[in-house]
Amino acid sequence: MAKKGWDEFEIGAMLRTFDGKIDDIAGTRQEDRAYSQNSSYTASVADWRLIKPVFNKDYCIDCQFCWIYCPDVSIVSRDKKLIGVDMDHCKGCGICVEVCPTNPKSLLMFPEQADEETEIANWPKKDEGEA
Amino acid sequence: MSEVKNIKNLKEFSTSADRFEGANLLCPGCAHSIIVREVLNATNDDLILSASTGCLEVCTAVYPYTSWDASWIHIGFENSSTAVAGAETMYKALKKKGRLKQPERTPKFISFAGDGASYDIGFQWISGCMERGHNMMHIVLDNEVYANTGGQRSSSTPIGSSATTTPAGKISYGEKRNKKDMMSIMAAHGIPYAAQVSPNKWKDMVKKIQHGMAVDGPVFINAVSPCTTEWKFDPKDTMNIADLATDTLVFPLYEIIDGRELNITYRPKNVIPVEEYLAAQGRFKHLFKDEYKYLIKEWQERVDEKWAYLQRREEARV
Repeated sequence: MAKKGWDEFEIGAMLRTFDGKIDDIAGTRQEDRAYSQNSSYTASVADWRLIKPVFNKDYCIDCQFCWIYCPDVSIVSRDKKLIGVDMDHCKGCGICVEVCPTNPKSLLMFPEQADEETEIANWPKKDEGEA
Repeated sequence: MSEVKNIKNLKEFSTSADRFEGANLLCPGCAHSIIVREVLNATNDDLILSASTGCLEVCTAVYPYTSWDASWIHIGFENSSTAVAGAETMYKALKKKGRLKQPERTPKFISFAGDGASYDIGFQWISGCMERGHNMMHIVLDNEVYANTGGQRSSSTPIGSSATTTPAGKISYGEKRNKKDMMSIMAAHGIPYAAQVSPNKWKDMVKKIQHGMAVDGPVFINAVSPCTTEWKFDPKDTMNIADLATDTLVFPLYEIIDGRELNITYRPKNVIPVEEYLAAQGRFKHLFKDEYKYLIKEWQERVDEKWAYLQRREEARV
């Protein structure tokens, strides 16, 4: 589709999400779909983020709370296992950290420029709480 | 394909392939997309969707992008329900004439609208759809304010809430009228299913959505959608606010079948005082001044009264 200027709208516009035909969308994973350039999947909102979630798989119990409560489809889960965070679509709201039930949390927010490997190496220890 | 998707637990649910995409322009921490994801993932069937003008529409369909992997239409502020109703009527007509190319597929017809587009502007249209008995589902993303245009009050805005057209200040405590009881109004149409849901109770939500998709006839769903911008709380607290809404019984979760039988589907183990729900949000901040404290007491009384009413109705089965 040729890009149009803002004043060159048609009265109604139809956008196709996919290039080609997908018969069973609900049975096709995102990485197997041929998204067209009109799908927001191909766009990125990474520049919205001031803080980013870092995932530490050592403590994860695969409860999938973060997956269900992520507003931006950014928690990637495959075969009932949490794989990681989709950093193109994450807006850094922090809901995933808030709903994480493990102790210590398996997801924590860090400043955008933080180095992931260093943070995972210095992960906080288990919080025993007050006896 | 028309069989009901089997979702026993969250792990099983997490194998769903999302049909709603990220990089939409909703605020970080917006509950709209959480609700939409829970609804779309509740089924494997084809979807025919529409959205009214509102946050969800303007943020998921910013030219040249779309965040929907299913057929989706937007027409106007008021008529997401009728757009889908029209599609459903056409589907029925083509089916009757035997002109469907894949008659074995059973698409689900769902319209999304905000509270402004449902409680106020689209009210007549929704009422029409419910009355005509289309086989569709209308879902209200109830954030209790016109969030898209900057936080004007809607008829869903509760008492004491400070909205831009009902600001709290020296002479006013904000919105003075009570929230419209949309559930009762819709149930009074005698529709087969009406339910109130909350994104934090995903299992309850999925169960209700699946039930709504299985019944033949119009279905009305009212979903509470905590709005981080207009309710004024931190984006990370969206789910905590939703928890408070259901556990303080400000948003009781219940369903009404055939306009008569009322079932309460979630009873909190520990009911939290309404004060905590109000204190967590900036839009109710002024209620904690000495001169307005009586409003908190009134809030609690109203919530208790409503809960008692729901329980009486559940017992009476009328």
